[in-house]
Amino acid sequence: MNCAKWEAEIALYAGGDLPARRVAPLENHLAVCARCRALLQDLRAGQALLAELRDDPLPPAMLARVRANVLAEVGAPRPSRPYWKLAPAAALALALATALLSPRHRAVEPPQPTPAAPVRMAEARPAEVVPVRHRALRRHRRPPAAKSGPPLLVQFVTDDPNIVIYWLVDQKPEGD
Amino acid sequence: MEPEGIALPMTVFERKDSGERAVFEGIMTGCQSRVLRVALRLLHHPQDAQDAAQEVFLRLYRHLGRIDRERGYEAWLFRVTVNVCRDIARRRRRSVALDEVSEPPSPRPDAYDAAARAQQREMVRRGLGRLGEKERAALVLRDLEGLPTREVARILGSSENTVRSQISTARLKLRDFANSGRTRS
Repeated sequence: MNCAKWEAEIALYAGGDLPARRVAPLENHLAVCARCRALLQDLRAGQALLAELRDDPLPPAMLARVRANVLAEVGAPRPSRPYWKLAPAAALALALATALLSPRHRAVEPPQPTPAAPVRMAEARPAEVVPVRHRALRRHRRPPAAKSGPPLLVQFVTDDPNIVIYWLVDQKPEGD
Repeated sequence: MEPEGIALPMTVFERKDSGERAVFEGIMTGCQSRVLRVALRLLHHPQDAQDAAQEVFLRLYRHLGRIDRERGYEAWLFRVTVNVCRDIARRRRRSVALDEVSEPPSPRPDAYDAAARAQQREMVRRGLGRLGEKERAALVLRDLEGLPTREVARILGSSENTVRSQISTARLKLRDFANSGRTRS
């Protein structure tokens, strides 16, 4: 009897894959062929071994590694982030910029040298002029050295180019 | 009787409102073992299998919103797993020769108590590595993962008749390989 033609059928039958209409002829043959029954037995043993392989547990470390790597990869912000999610940050930045640029917080600039009121020598009142000019100039002078330096020369300019007032101010060391 | 496909935790797929990321993590939790196991059987190399599984889930993340839920995530995952494994095997040109088949580590040494049984299992494992790419994929999905033939055909993009032919050939080759191992030892 030529059993070779049955082998493929038996291999399917062993795993339950043989279409129903082909089962009966095969079973008739198996009833009379010991060699094919032995083949079926071998194939079923192979199926059982494959089933055991299926139950092999996977190394937990490998599973954990895959999961961690994937989540790390997808954890990065997605490029298509909705714009409204950025709204709070944008509002905060705008408020901060507004506050910093407002006149109250702007760095104090030295006032333009406002000419003192035209004075005549006889009516000049340095006591009224000096404090203003003095404060403005002192804000921008260099930090005083530890030792007392040379006296600071303050120049007062008036509308009259012929009248210039000079004032020498002693510089004191820091900590005074 | 053809066995039913292994039940997946389908509930995670139905959480449409719980956020894309949560759905993704749910699918990964439910399917990670199966994807990694299939990759291991197809590639016979732990590091390659790990790379393949990672790639599969990254693709899932990218395509999550476009996967046809009617057809199910399971078929999609297996199809991508087979494709990614095929790409990796070709790219690295890692021919699975007898000596290269690596033994998957098993934390259950008690399963190998009977030396003869262990040897048979090892022969089957090695035999899997000797099968052709398509035969191996069909056999792994059908006999190790227990998917119905119709599903295997869908995943592999073949007809059911083709898959039956591949499965039949693969089973006979495995049996011959196991027999030759018995006669050698």
